[in-house]
Amino acid sequence: MEVNPPKQEHLLALKVMRLTKPTLFTNIPVTCEDRDLPGDLFNQLMKDDPSTVNGAETLMLGEMLTLPQNFGNIFLGETFSSYISVHNDSNQIVKDILVKADLQTSSQRLNLSASNATVAELKSDCCIDDVIHHEVKEIGTHILVCAVSYTTQSGEKMYFRKFFKFQVLKPLDVKTKFYNAESDLSSVTDEVFLEAQIQNITTSPMFMEKVSLEPSMMYNVVELNTVKQVGEGVSTFGSRTYLQPLDTRQYLYCLKPKQEFAEKAGIIKGVTVIGKLDIVWKTNLGERGRLQTSQLQRMAPGYGDVRLSLEAIPDTVNLEEPFHITCKITNCSSERTMDLVLEMCNTNSIHWCGVSGRQLGKLNPSSSLYLALTLLSSVQGLQSVSGLRLTDTFLKRTYEYDDIAQVCVVSSTIQVEG
Amino acid sequence: MEHVEGSAQIIKEESVPGEVEGRHIIQHVTQEEQGQLLFHEETIDLGGDEFGSEENETVSEDSSNFIDKLNEHMMESVIISDSPNNSEDDAGELGCLQDIVEPAEDKSDHSLEQVLDKEEIVTLSNDSETDHDDTPKDISDMTSDSRASLKEELTQEETKDEPIFGNEGTIDSTLSEDKTNPEEQMSEISSSQSSKDDAIPVCTIFSQSNQANSQPQLFLHDGFEPQMVKSPSFSSASETSAKTPPQVVQPSPSLSKFFGDTVNTNSLASDFFDSFTTSTFISVSNPNAGTSVSEKLSSLSTPVGESSPDSADPSYSMGIERSESGVSTACLETCQSPKPFSQIQAVFAGSDDPFATALNMSEIDRRNDAWLPSEETRNVLISVATQQYSTVFIDKENLTMPGLKFDNIQGDAVKDLMLRFLGEQAAAKRQVLNANSVEQSFVGLKQLILWFVRLALLVKLSLFQNAEMEFEPFGNLDQPDLYYEYYPHVYPGRRGSMVPFSMRILHAELQQYLGNPQESLDRLHNMKTICSQILRNLEQGLAEDGSMNNITQENRHASVQLWRSRLGRVMYSMANCLLMMKDYVLAVDAYHSVIKYYPEQEPQLLSGIGRIFLQIGDIKMAEKYFQDVERVAQKLDGLQSKIMVLMNRAFLHLGQNNFAEAHRFFTEILRTEPTNAVANNNAAVCLLYLGKLKDSLRQLEGMVQQDPKHYLHESVLFNLTTMYELESSRSMQKKQSLLEAVAVKEGDSFNTQCLKLG
Repeated sequence: MEVNPPKQEHLLALKVMRLTKPTLFTNIPVTCEDRDLPGDLFNQLMKDDPSTVNGAETLMLGEMLTLPQNFGNIFLGETFSSYISVHNDSNQIVKDILVKADLQTSSQRLNLSASNATVAELKSDCCIDDVIHHEVKEIGTHILVCAVSYTTQSGEKMYFRKFFKFQVLKPLDVKTKFYNAESDLSSVTDEVFLEAQIQNITTSPMFMEKVSLEPSMMYNVVELNTVKQVGEGVSTFGSRTYLQPLDTRQYLYCLKPKQEFAEKAGIIKGVTVIGKLDIVWKTNLGERGRLQTSQLQRMAPGYGDVRLSLEAIPDTVNLEEPFHITCKITNCSSERTMDLVLEMCNTNSIHWCGVSGRQLGKLNPSSSLYLALTLLSSVQGLQSVSGLRLTDTFLKRTYEYDDIAQVCVVSSTIQVEG
Repeated sequence: MEHVEGSAQIIKEESVPGEVEGRHIIQHVTQEEQGQLLFHEETIDLGGDEFGSEENETVSEDSSNFIDKLNEHMMESVIISDSPNNSEDDAGELGCLQDIVEPAEDKSDHSLEQVLDKEEIVTLSNDSETDHDDTPKDISDMTSDSRASLKEELTQEETKDEPIFGNEGTIDSTLSEDKTNPEEQMSEISSSQSSKDDAIPVCTIFSQSNQANSQPQLFLHDGFEPQMVKSPSFSSASETSAKTPPQVVQPSPSLSKFFGDTVNTNSLASDFFDSFTTSTFISVSNPNAGTSVSEKLSSLSTPVGESSPDSADPSYSMGIERSESGVSTACLETCQSPKPFSQIQAVFAGSDDPFATALNMSEIDRRNDAWLPSEETRNVLISVATQQYSTVFIDKENLTMPGLKFDNIQGDAVKDLMLRFLGEQAAAKRQVLNANSVEQSFVGLKQLILWFVRLALLVKLSLFQNAEMEFEPFGNLDQPDLYYEYYPHVYPGRRGSMVPFSMRILHAELQQYLGNPQESLDRLHNMKTICSQILRNLEQGLAEDGSMNNITQENRHASVQLWRSRLGRVMYSMANCLLMMKDYVLAVDAYHSVIKYYPEQEPQLLSGIGRIFLQIGDIKMAEKYFQDVERVAQKLDGLQSKIMVLMNRAFLHLGQNNFAEAHRFFTEILRTEPTNAVANNNAAVCLLYLGKLKDSLRQLEGMVQQDPKHYLHESVLFNLTTMYELESSRSMQKKQSLLEAVAVKEGDSFNTQCLKLG
């Protein structure tokens, strides 16, 4: 450095420059017409400018490459490349030069030098060059440690090091959500839908080259991110192939358990590993990055011993007029026969019609019964059907069912007029 | 000690030889990882940037703020966390755990002694090269997994004597959470699970005593779970994550915070590297320098009215500027207030014979000057036309009152640098065009075209703010007095806009350089509407302005051609503006439409679109466009299209990270056209990425020496100086010799920053 020369003058100088991809030079076109006062002047100036495009000078984006102008940001999954140059600033020959580049992360220290061989001698004004590459696998502080040792003409052994610190940032924010397919009740289909929201939290546009779900061994996956149009798959994201800073994309996948697992487990219970997302993106001039999420896990919906599902319910009902719903009650336990009592508790808006506390009779394992119920709502608007209680008289255990479904309650007069 | 630095600072290029230094650094890393211990006097803080300010608070126990901060930090860290092997590194985790449990039990026991003890443990053996695989990791690196496991561990109350300062808060909160849900060590998982289940419209809910979610506010209500992302190469480690309990849904950190950090760390890192090889080079070509451009501009621009006209040194000011001052006074006089026409006429009459002017209202004038005024302006113009001899009173605001907004000396940045680095003698040799070297042959100064020239030159000099100030009185270029009809006596019978079309383009484009691309787009869209209307008028057999003039077929054809080309120019500006806004989809569409108006530029434009896709990173799409170029270029014969194809191939290889192949294609261009500046420069850039600094320098220097007049371009010089800086500590001399070369050739508009002499 020019300003603060090291206390001990070294014969060799070490310089490091991060090699992000070069950028294209853009120029500012100022044009005029032949009839304007400057005549051909401005247009000729632009033609002479080597950074404009020959024949299309008004096109802002030129072809001239410029070297990176600052260190920039480095993101997890990208490749850190650096030019390391050791230059003999002195006028004497220097011997036995060894240049070593290590990267210290929070968890490990890596050697990045292409070769660890000693260079026999370096003449004045010559340099030793090395370009290092490292795929960044950790977030946080990284320190590039460059060490140079050499022997002067007088035989003195010299050694110095330089440290370059940089922060590795997170490029993406990934959120996932599982949806369990509700099916026709005789058997649960076990289909799972995964919605993944991927947000670009860098400051530059990001081309998403690949976003795929690698399923675990239990599942087959169907990607739902293309729409078939005239036999060709068209991306649901349209022509916009990239994510602007802070843009979020939603990817949808459908997962089906493989036959052997579906049969074995019946209803998959507990925590299952679904798979992981593999994401490859590119930025300026093809700068590449790749990340994977950790294994996505999903808790299969726990239906407990007794499952209540809805078979039929109207979507719109009249205020204060009774309507009917059909419920299905399934004994999900493996070998226990149940004796169930149904209670119906009114809520602020939902009023059940009929007798509460009636016996439903015995229900064998893995069998189900259908139940027609009548209720009415005293409040308009979207109302939640709640307040069903099933009690297993053997175990004296009560199961509560609230927010089973929603109905839209409208005034009956409107209905008539409508 | 020589290495002591403020904790919030980074070490700049410490190059003290010897082992001691190395040890310090390592200590540092370690300390950082351990959560900001108090530092001993002989240590340097390498990484405490974010925490530096909290250092002192660490000792005070009851700082609830601090706890909040830590909580915040911890929550955030769950999201940020990445490295699976970190989070699953048992040793590291244990370290953390132990540390955390301890302060919870006896917070008061924390003392400096302990910290120092700890430091001893941390301090590694003298050998600086020791690896740090077992370095306990920073709490901030913890993933939700580790946090979950942390809780489990807490119940086991396993402790060791390794307290960590700064984690108190974390622990506190963790413990208190546990207190609130006594029997729910595991309930967190289930509760998070149930919150996931909310997504299902029909679902059963168990009757459980502990059904109530004890910490609902901690969970995202949208049911989305944040996911760790990590580098795939860690996949082996990641498999183990299956063992850990499912991730607890965590609130996502505020993004602004995230970005705050980003900015913070980024600037630090760049500071660090700056001293070597990069320095900010402010140029429009740098897409990230948007803000700094405007900052720079504001510093460049001079305050209005602060410099008195007298201070202007004629030897430096430009010819145009001087002649303009004449114009401005004339204009100001005429426009200061609404005056009777006779007066205005007197000013404008000048030497021109009004009748001669009327005769001059030729086909070409009509074609070129046509413009469609807004409704309001048209009404004024009509009233002027109908009450020819009476005074039409018009609001002052509606009139154009242009004037010079600054008449200070246009500085010569190159000369300033020469004075600084090469001495007065050398600087004296530097000659810039000045008033004396420009012939003052413009007599008819009243034409607006002169304003256009001045403003265009301001833009060329990148003095955008000055240009804007001087554009301001012209408003939206639609005031009545900017039309010929406003001066029926001076220009009897002449119609149309006195504002040249190119000035309208300039007026619209200027805003994007000032950081208001949306305003640019608005103005361009307005222009596009008028151009299209004029074209429609022509198609319908009317004159440009919609009047029922008889126009010969030939003239009509010429008119259509002119206005199509103008419409194309507007589309070009729109496309450029959209590109600046990084709205690439619309920019590509706009460039496509430019092809319709300038079919002869199709190969160039398709190549340009290809380069846009390269910039985004969409290599496949870029390739598709480059193939289209090759198809189009096949029909054309000749050198230019051959070079274009080779250039595109080189760029494609660049996008595929294959610098060697890219270099091969750039070199091939040089075989057909050895003087091609772009290919020369780009080949040199490729050489640098291939680790051949000296070769790269030789190529660039050779090119500059060969034909300095042509190749001393800003971008080439920037590359050259960057490489000089990388090459040796003696880059200054070489840069100064470049400055000398530049001084001979470049004018005022030269961007001295590319020399990095600052």
